[in-house]
Amino acid sequence: MMLALPSTREEAWRWSDLSALPALAAASPAGGAVDAAEQWLGLGGPRLLFVDGRLDRDASAPGAVALGPVDAASAHPLARLATGEGWTLAVDGVLPAPIEIAHISTGGANHLPARIVLAAGAQASLVETFVGDGWANRLTHVELGERARLTRALRLLQTTGFVSLRDEAEIGPEAHYAATVLGAGGAGSRIDAALELAGKGAFADMGGALLARGEQRHEAAIVMRHALGGGVSRQVWRAVADDSAAASIASRVEVAREAQKTDGEQSLRGLLLKRSAAVNLKPELEIFADDVKCAHGAAVGELDVRALFYLESRGIPPEAARALLTYAFVVDALELIGEGPVRDAFVADAARWLDGEGQKG
Amino acid sequence: MTNQMLKIDNLHATVADKPILKGLTLSLNPGEIHAIMGPNGAGKSTLSYVLGGRPGYAVTDGTVTLDGKDLLALEPHERAAAGLFLGFQYPVEIPGVSNVQFLRTALNAQRKARGEEELSAGAFLKIARAEADALGLERDMLKRPVNVGFSGGEKKRNEMVQMGIIAPRLAILDETDSGLDIDALRVVGEGINRIMRKPDKAVLLITHYQRLLDYVKPDFVHVLADGRIVRSGGAELALELEREGYVDIAA
Repeated sequence: MMLALPSTREEAWRWSDLSALPALAAASPAGGAVDAAEQWLGLGGPRLLFVDGRLDRDASAPGAVALGPVDAASAHPLARLATGEGWTLAVDGVLPAPIEIAHISTGGANHLPARIVLAAGAQASLVETFVGDGWANRLTHVELGERARLTRALRLLQTTGFVSLRDEAEIGPEAHYAATVLGAGGAGSRIDAALELAGKGAFADMGGALLARGEQRHEAAIVMRHALGGGVSRQVWRAVADDSAAASIASRVEVAREAQKTDGEQSLRGLLLKRSAAVNLKPELEIFADDVKCAHGAAVGELDVRALFYLESRGIPPEAARALLTYAFVVDALELIGEGPVRDAFVADAARWLDGEGQKG
Repeated sequence: MTNQMLKIDNLHATVADKPILKGLTLSLNPGEIHAIMGPNGAGKSTLSYVLGGRPGYAVTDGTVTLDGKDLLALEPHERAAAGLFLGFQYPVEIPGVSNVQFLRTALNAQRKARGEEELSAGAFLKIARAEADALGLERDMLKRPVNVGFSGGEKKRNEMVQMGIIAPRLAILDETDSGLDIDALRVVGEGINRIMRKPDKAVLLITHYQRLLDYVKPDFVHVLADGRIVRSGGAELALELEREGYVDIAA
């Protein structure tokens, strides 16, 4: 397969590092037995295990999730590869427990489309976890009817390789969409979303924490488009970069002429753990309506040396003090996760990443 | 002589290459409370930071030992584990870290460094609540982020709660009385006595004013001026300073 990738000369891809993808696309997965036991949070809902993009039926209990061809297509340069078989969740009631999806990759590349359709008043919650090696490429289409409510939590914990996510959502009147992403593994990432607040009074929240070390590149590119009025959008992102890693967040809010009384807020903050690391933050507003409230903040800094000394003077070793302050920096982006056990798991994953940082000295 | 706890000998220190401490000599024995008074710019806070090991405070000459061990060779967290507690003049706000999390991490790190067993969450909370109650700090504030949104007085009480939980052998308290109203001053003074007035502990109180010394009676009072101890005496020296000011005495 000839892999055509966007160039960093394109503004939307300027911070991307897709250099690993051609080799991964050409390689084959190692396959073999995988153990998904550790990936489940035990939330009591349906479970789906995808190994290299294919459902492992024995390890799955898909519940309301249907497998097969997916009615989703995208012109997005990476997501357009995610065609054919995938999963679809169509709900017209309230799902009692979150759906857990584990994506385990064993090398090479896998592409998987998905579609989530919530009818008016429907509610669902999904947790997706990415582990292993290789390139996991995902397209997720979302359609929320009036007053529907979807929450998503995405953990990017792959050891090596690359995870690319493309979310395209259409959020209906007074519907609620919330997605929280944690990038805490060793793989590179591109988290890409185009969320349209299509109905009046729609709500969209997308944010998270991207933790990068070594040569790692994490990148989020989010566009929230307010098409009609009275909508509320929130983006709280925290980026941490150590060594010569880079974490980049481009977050745009577009407000159409019809979208009066829009309330948009972006809070982008970066933390450099070493001077050789990089954090890129690009908050953007494009407003065509005249009665809107849009706030955005972006700031990059280092750990507060006064706070470090305060912690150390109480007996906390320097590495643990750094980890504690870094944890404090990222945790407010993860505390937006509504479900306690999911939030706890994400916070624990972030803490584990920080422990690794502690051991490196 | 043999059981000196803290021994500072001819200490010279600079901040940004500027000499601040210029040959300071001072010894504390277990069971003693010493007060250091002096005008602004004398080097009082520099002394506390040098003893605590704050980066940017460079020792250029002299020695400091704690229980006979070279204190200056230790990292700040190792000094804490060795029994040193530094009460900050301006306690630092740490958003996102709760008081409980901070202090439990600190106490257990110290215990671990000393080869002692870590405290369980329950055992720790019991101690923390008792200290908060004793110092009139709302228990609720233990759950709040460290010093965030605390008033000046609450921050100082919180320093004392920390001291009570950590139970150090030697406390260096830098202007713990500043920013306190008269009731808080009494509570904090009583806290210092309760926690530190013991045969095996010692306190170095750094203060501008005599008023804290009404509650915490010092065994010795020293006047620090231009980086040196220029006069030492008993508790009565503090009263004399309050009456006559530093100018004549330091001269």
